[in-house]
Amino acid sequence: MMNEKTVRILLVEDNPGDARLLRIFLAEAGSTTMELTHFGCMSDAASHLQGGEVDVVLLDLGLPDAQGLGAVRQVHAIAPGVPLVVLTGLDDETTAAQALQEGAQDYLIKGQIESHGLRRALRYAMERQRMQVETEQIRKQQLQLKDEFLSHVSHELRSPLTAIYQFVSILVDGLAGELRPEQSEYLRLTLRNVRQLESMIADLLEVTRVQTGKLNIEPQRASLSDAITDTVHMFEGSVAAKGITLSANIPADLPLAYLDPSRVRQVLINLVSNAIKFTAQGGEIKLQTRIFEEDPGLLVVEIADTGCGIKPEVSKLIFDRLYQATDAGEHGRKGLGLGLYISKELVARQGGSIWVRSEPQKGSSFFFTVPIFSLASLIGPILTNEVKPDDAIAVLVVEMDSQDGWLSPDVRIAMSNVARALLQRCLLPDLDVVLPKMDSGDAQELFFAVACTNKQGAEVMSRRVREQFRRSERLQQAGLTFTVSCSFLPPILRNVNEPMGEFVGHVAAGVQELINTMIIARSVPA
Amino acid sequence: MSNKTILIVDDDPDVRLGLNIRLKANHYNVVFAADGMASIAEARKHAPDLIILDLGLPAGDGFSVMERLKANDTLALIPVVVMSARDPSANRERALKAGAKAFLQKPVDNAKLVALIRKVLGEKDLTPNLVHDLGEV
Repeated sequence: MMNEKTVRILLVEDNPGDARLLRIFLAEAGSTTMELTHFGCMSDAASHLQGGEVDVVLLDLGLPDAQGLGAVRQVHAIAPGVPLVVLTGLDDETTAAQALQEGAQDYLIKGQIESHGLRRALRYAMERQRMQVETEQIRKQQLQLKDEFLSHVSHELRSPLTAIYQFVSILVDGLAGELRPEQSEYLRLTLRNVRQLESMIADLLEVTRVQTGKLNIEPQRASLSDAITDTVHMFEGSVAAKGITLSANIPADLPLAYLDPSRVRQVLINLVSNAIKFTAQGGEIKLQTRIFEEDPGLLVVEIADTGCGIKPEVSKLIFDRLYQATDAGEHGRKGLGLGLYISKELVARQGGSIWVRSEPQKGSSFFFTVPIFSLASLIGPILTNEVKPDDAIAVLVVEMDSQDGWLSPDVRIAMSNVARALLQRCLLPDLDVVLPKMDSGDAQELFFAVACTNKQGAEVMSRRVREQFRRSERLQQAGLTFTVSCSFLPPILRNVNEPMGEFVGHVAAGVQELINTMIIARSVPA
Repeated sequence: MSNKTILIVDDDPDVRLGLNIRLKANHYNVVFAADGMASIAEARKHAPDLIILDLGLPAGDGFSVMERLKANDTLALIPVVVMSARDPSANRERALKAGAKAFLQKPVDNAKLVALIRKVLGEKDLTPNLVHDLGEV
């Protein structure tokens, strides 16, 4: 019970007279024992506060080493969960009010403090803090409940949808007898709506994943042009049907990007299908990509349409969750308003951004960026200023091969994701990094890991990686064999005068060379 | 022409009927079970070439069915394809680990389903679309 527990008060007050007075007030009879610890300045109080043995803080706002709101913020930074009551002078209610906005629970005016009021203020402060924490917990629980509910509902909706899809497609395919052209047309229309419903459910689930942090993104060294070309092919039928032209302009020398191909395709599909939806017959949709003018480390994709455009006041809102065009009427049915929100999340999680430029009645251009692949930028984080003389860079090559040729190349690519996840499991955070699949020039799948650690550490890691691969049932089930080999870059000592950026570049070049030699060595038959 | 037998395990009669029509049209013999318990009995009785298995089932869910199949030397050899409305991110990995050849999320595209069945039965080459159902952690 609150009444029986000793309340531990931290008083931070530089005026000995004020401190003495407060101590006297608190010592006066009361049902709760109050234990006062007093410090005259913030730096001493801070170390006591860090110890965690404080139930409530009484803080003077005119300390020698911390004043006003700065003092409030310092206390909050050290102990965000501890309730705070500030002490101010009669003439300083403005600061007191600001302190409340910064999260202080209450303020007391010096000279007007008396025993009961002081005790009440402290107790209220603690109680309010407790209630705030509780409210926050309830809010989080409710959010989680909502996500679980959404996820549950979406799955339950899938069952009847499955039955509808099955039977409509049975009719369309003539498995239940021949149809008249008109009947066939209406059933196809039904199927189209089933698909729409299905993609809405998929969007709902994707949003719950975004909000629960379960969105899975696997960036790798990949071609952005491939993703764009695939998307254009995918929509050839629907643009032809609507009388719109769709084209892509991709420079031949576009550098490779660092992205998750299926996630980038998801974004492209979303943006292109939006463009088709809002562009009238005879209109045009153009896809373009280039190195981003404002940041040479990024590629930018532009999807430009000649559709109805977006009003300036609306263009900021369209990436928000559940936003939808209010005048979508003539362009068909509204969706759930989740597509652009999901796209924004997907792009951001791959290190890019998304935006729109638009002119009503003329058309819209959507832009998004993805990082250009760079070995140096991947290796960079593991190279610090304290590179030791015996630090070796280990390059681990994992090579996969299918035993019986049962799996298609595509399946092997999918299995490569499994392998990469396994590899990742063996690495030390911050010290090692997995490099994405790189072109090897032959059909075999190859993966590389780089570790910045001492030679011994790298050998241990290489053993662990082998062990993990041996144990993976998934890889064995898929009939894949693998070999793991490990090589070392000679220890590289950093020249004191060499800027870090250049050093990283040198190491990256060394790693690239090592990878190349390993690939060449492996492609020569024994 | 195939005369192979497929066991469909699903508690939803509509799904069973729909799959029956679709698979018969592709010249498969189709047998059914509506719950976990019955699925083992039907598997013993018909020795199917393939089992299409739902996850949410009465009397033993899909995972426990796979466990019981694995425990029997003969039944363990029958390939299983899981077909469920559940979230793949939470269940695909688990299903593959339990021995399933693939995880398909309902509603499954017909062409994709038939292609996968052919592949698993070793009848014909597969469409590349299969990737998404076999791989990806």
